[in-house]
Amino acid sequence: MTRHNDPDDIAIIGWSISPMVRTTDKTEAQMLLEVVTGAVTDAGITRKEVDFTCAGSCDYVAGQAFSFVQNIDAVGAWPPKRDSHVEMDGAWALYEAWVRLLIGDIDVALAMGSGRSSTADPALIYSMEMDPYYLAPLGADATSLAAIQARALLDAGKVTEQQMADIAVRCRRDAKANDHAQVAGDFDAAALLAGDYVRAPLRKHDLPPITDGACAVVIARADKARELCEHPVWITGFAHYSELHNPGLRDLTTSRSTTLAAKAAGVEAGPVEVAEIQAAYTHEEPVLVEALGLGADVVVNPSGGPLAANPVMATGLVRVSEAAHQIRDLGRHRTLAHSTSGPCLQQNLVCVLEGDPT
Amino acid sequence: LARTVESTIRFPYKRSLGPVLGAFMTALTEQRIIGIRSGARVIVPPLEWDPDSGEELAHDFVDVGPAGTVTSWSWVEKPTTQHPLDHPFAFALVRLDGADTGFLHAVDAGSIDAMSTGMRVAPRWKGTRVGHITDLDAFVPGEQPEMAGDDAGPAAEPVTMMDYNAAITYKTPVTPNVERAEQATNEGRFLGLRCPVCARTYTGGKGYCPVDAVELTPDCEIDLPQVGTVTNYTIITPVQYPGQTETEPFARVHVWLDGTDVVLGYQALLDTPNDDVRIGMRVAAMWASEAEKLDQDPRAEGNLVGWMPTGDPDVTDPDLVNRIC
Repeated sequence: MTRHNDPDDIAIIGWSISPMVRTTDKTEAQMLLEVVTGAVTDAGITRKEVDFTCAGSCDYVAGQAFSFVQNIDAVGAWPPKRDSHVEMDGAWALYEAWVRLLIGDIDVALAMGSGRSSTADPALIYSMEMDPYYLAPLGADATSLAAIQARALLDAGKVTEQQMADIAVRCRRDAKANDHAQVAGDFDAAALLAGDYVRAPLRKHDLPPITDGACAVVIARADKARELCEHPVWITGFAHYSELHNPGLRDLTTSRSTTLAAKAAGVEAGPVEVAEIQAAYTHEEPVLVEALGLGADVVVNPSGGPLAANPVMATGLVRVSEAAHQIRDLGRHRTLAHSTSGPCLQQNLVCVLEGDPT
Repeated sequence: LARTVESTIRFPYKRSLGPVLGAFMTALTEQRIIGIRSGARVIVPPLEWDPDSGEELAHDFVDVGPAGTVTSWSWVEKPTTQHPLDHPFAFALVRLDGADTGFLHAVDAGSIDAMSTGMRVAPRWKGTRVGHITDLDAFVPGEQPEMAGDDAGPAAEPVTMMDYNAAITYKTPVTPNVERAEQATNEGRFLGLRCPVCARTYTGGKGYCPVDAVELTPDCEIDLPQVGTVTNYTIITPVQYPGQTETEPFARVHVWLDGTDVVLGYQALLDTPNDDVRIGMRVAAMWASEAEKLDQDPRAEGNLVGWMPTGDPDVTDPDLVNRIC
């Protein structure tokens, strides 16, 4: 590992994760207000020192057109800031913020993600985002499509229902140590496997919880990061790739775009200690672990991952925060975060993080 | 738990289909399923572009099926309102005979026990077909296509458009700030909030200062005057969309409350012919009486009926017109 002295190096210097709850009584803007305050405070700055912001949210989740316009109130209107928005998870907002800082004319950027999935039936919301000709008119919901991917993996012998239940048990157990977890505790795999199918072959424990929540992350260019922060968490690789939208045209037993993103982000350049991945369904974990090239020694989702809390539109940015937490607060050296979007892992993002050598 | 407000948003889209999807939808009305050649592959349903190279595909269509093989599937025990069937069914990827890809659709198998990877299925067509993915009612187990109801025949003309209808019902929590603001209007007053940082005053239920991004707690509440000045206005000629009750042109005015930063936009102006509406008019808030409250349209926001001219001399200030928020 090298010391990061290139001025174009960019580091995470602060973050904040909201409470993760089944139903909030706050607006998205109010949830963001708290995490933006939390993230800039964590970074030791004020909102005035943020030069660029980018938000990730979804109008279909919000139930309102141009909902992001209200959300930027959370940043504060004065002094004016360069602002952007992605109809994607906040992890993609962080990607845009990272690219923006690479230009070199500004030093500090803030990315945020927010969503209140509780206000409507996710099975009705997410089918709206499918192909509008062939998939959305069938009401093809994310969980039905995920279940088709799970079946493909079961048929190929790449996973068993027992292993899927074991993943749920492990994530919920690990989540006990996470203040931001919504589903945590000790569960028995046999008892989980006795439950009914929601979308066979997926049972309730194979699905993420419905979560309201938000997250914000502050990044800075190298000189500013060193000035503000004793332990900057360096972003050493960042990439995302997409593949065909229609799951019927893909090999669902692998995730080619994840592999491409991992390669582009330089995952192979060193050992990964912890991976925080957006496996919102149990069967997605083995697909992603294989596609990322992670060995058995890599700790996967010590936070409990999306199976413990799934604030849609912020779930990926929470993964980045958790991966950064592993370095700054728990002494790890090299971690990665993964985020995904679209049906059956259509689009995948990989972010590699490193601490300064000790 | 917070009180919630329920609202249903409909998404009634009309979509143009273009030459490839249009050909596919037209074929459905003829009880045919077509794919498109992309190199050595036949892609079903057809795409306009080669998924590997991004090049536009020649319109080299191939009839596939009608029967095919299930390559993967999931069982839906409780269908949603958007699903094609109202009883338990499977979503499946079906590799139609002659195709190289999985075609997502419903399989009406009756029971999960009748489903298996590798099973053979054939289409059940709707009798009335309009050029829509659901002209194919569902696949059914077996080799032989079926018809649901009387066959009304294929489309007379090539299909160029399709309808898509969806609806989502949201239950949005009413935040404590909105509760306080509504309570205030029920009592015939505006909830005023003064930002502890910039001292700007606001009204309504937002609950924070958008300039400074700080929370406006009950400690920040202040009384607001009920008299103000018209800063700008528009005369609206109504179009008769659902919910529009006005039939004649009407005014909407912006009112700047005296001595505050609060400008209330798009307010009703009472007892004033459209020709008399002026920037600088002095106006006072009119609240519904207890009797009027009972008659009020339940969709109306709060209890404010509108603004009545006070008859006081107009304010003359050339900058007034710029105060719309």
